[in-house]
Amino acid sequence: MEPVGITGTDTRRELTLNMGPQHPATHGVLRLTLDLDGEMVVKCTPHVGYLHRGIEKLAESRTYQGVMPLTDRLDYVASVGNNIGYCLAVERLFGIEAPERAQYLRTIVFEMSRICSHLLWLATHALDIGAMTVFLYCFREREWLLDIFETICGARLTVSYPRIGGVLQDMEPEVLESLDAFTRMFPGKILEYETLIDKNRIWLQRTQGVGVIPAKEAIRWGLTGPTLRGSGVSYDLRRDAPYDAYDRVEFDVPIGKNGDVYDRYRCRMEELRQSNRIIQQCLAALPAGDILAHDAPDLDMPLAGKKELVPEMSLGNASIGFGDAVPVAPKGEIYSAVEVPKGELGFYLMSDGTGNPCRMRVRAPSYVHAGALAKMCEGAFIADVIAVIGSIDIVMGECDR
Amino acid sequence: MRRRVPDFVRKILFVEILKGLALTFRTMLKPPVTRQYPRERRDPKPGFRGQHAFVRNPETNREKCVACQKCATVCPSRCISIRYETDEHGVRHLTKYEIDALRCIFCGYCESVCPVCAIVLTETYEYASYSREGFVYDRERLLHNWDRFAAQLKRPAYFNMFWRPAGADVKRLAVVRRLQQPVPVRQTPDAGIAGTREPRAGQGQAPTQGDR
Repeated sequence: MEPVGITGTDTRRELTLNMGPQHPATHGVLRLTLDLDGEMVVKCTPHVGYLHRGIEKLAESRTYQGVMPLTDRLDYVASVGNNIGYCLAVERLFGIEAPERAQYLRTIVFEMSRICSHLLWLATHALDIGAMTVFLYCFREREWLLDIFETICGARLTVSYPRIGGVLQDMEPEVLESLDAFTRMFPGKILEYETLIDKNRIWLQRTQGVGVIPAKEAIRWGLTGPTLRGSGVSYDLRRDAPYDAYDRVEFDVPIGKNGDVYDRYRCRMEELRQSNRIIQQCLAALPAGDILAHDAPDLDMPLAGKKELVPEMSLGNASIGFGDAVPVAPKGEIYSAVEVPKGELGFYLMSDGTGNPCRMRVRAPSYVHAGALAKMCEGAFIADVIAVIGSIDIVMGECDR
Repeated sequence: MRRRVPDFVRKILFVEILKGLALTFRTMLKPPVTRQYPRERRDPKPGFRGQHAFVRNPETNREKCVACQKCATVCPSRCISIRYETDEHGVRHLTKYEIDALRCIFCGYCESVCPVCAIVLTETYEYASYSREGFVYDRERLLHNWDRFAAQLKRPAYFNMFWRPAGADVKRLAVVRRLQQPVPVRQTPDAGIAGTREPRAGQGQAPTQGDR
């Protein structure tokens, strides 16, 4: 075999290496082709689409209510974020506002899902880099929150807890107590994770100065979320375009400085604390009241503005257009975005007045971040590619949709 | 670019690594949080969205479904198919009800809209089959699922939280759902045991065992 990269003669040769889609460290089915010069990455080309299920297209043949469980399957480690993002888009389109209690409950579950997602990210990111213990500890705490999700809606991951115009059901006092106990316990646990890796010299060497993306570049690549904030850009939709109860709680938006893997890690660790703080404030200020808006569409909303009369129909349904075709949704289009754990998740909905979206488009942060991988991996070592993939917290369900 | 560790002494003494090790050793002395799954099982929370079933009506000993087709309409994955006949009084009679559990995404919409509290997602989470047909649940199979679930239920009566969600506006609920009482669970000895393993003796039996 011809030697690679031999000095003296001009026989330097680049090696193209295929990484993924079955690589365990690509967090799903991300495929990268790496052009290598020795162990250095000259060029990194991400390939996506291995988990494409056509959720955007499917949405066109489902009612607005029927799309909601599909959004669970976008970012499946923090499905509540997608649910709420979608619900808010529909609510803004329909002109509905969720009752105050529902808004607080949503904020609580949103932050719970953020903690879940960040814990899973920290666990797998640390595991990729070689810290096994953090993985086990993170899953221990995540279990607590998943149990709460199971209690309030019957599912642990694909929760579908929010509804258009509110939430599925109220939280029982025991659930709120359990959540309160969690928020009191959790800051100590964050310290534990930090004890393990924050100052660990192996961790520092694997993360500091790796996968750097300066603030200007980060904005140009369209990065959002902790990946952007790690570069020192203070941009958080929860603060800059508040939804639900975020304008009524106090929290800081942690930012990094260098835009490397370590700063992104620090941002997320601080976000864990801030999320915990938000949950505590929401629990303290939780108002009484309804959990679903009175003008929220029914689950079995009509598809074409017309509804067939069936036996045992609920009385509440009688108001929603029997007889002739009644427009179910106002015509128009809307773009609405929320800050999910990965970044800015946007839903663009186009309505033609029928019960199903005419077009739905999802602006998924993971997709944008996958594109920026090319930039971040340039000039890095192969082993650093793993750290960089971990640091952008990519979920392929959301990336490929 | 890489930061020099400022405190030279800390670096030689491996302080940060020793701190981490101390934590892991402390944790070693605590009781484990893991469960040895096949031997130790956790009970799902009430309302867990698991295997589908038809609630057996204690009065008629049959399912309560009135073939309104709401569940089939609302199902996002289109996994429910219903056929019915209408008699001379205009009353619908269910002739076919099928759920393809492999297509189901367990969103719970069917049990949320059912006006008569007929279909439920039970807390059974362990069910397997050797064939795809084993996951197409017809009426009898759905009733059987209920018996199997009811036999191992530890509560005396069953009430699904989706029938009357906490804090929900009662006026928006169907009449039957407003009045729905917890269903008393009858222990049926012939229903088999769900959620636990077959006895050792039965394990080597014909594959049809798995199609329960």
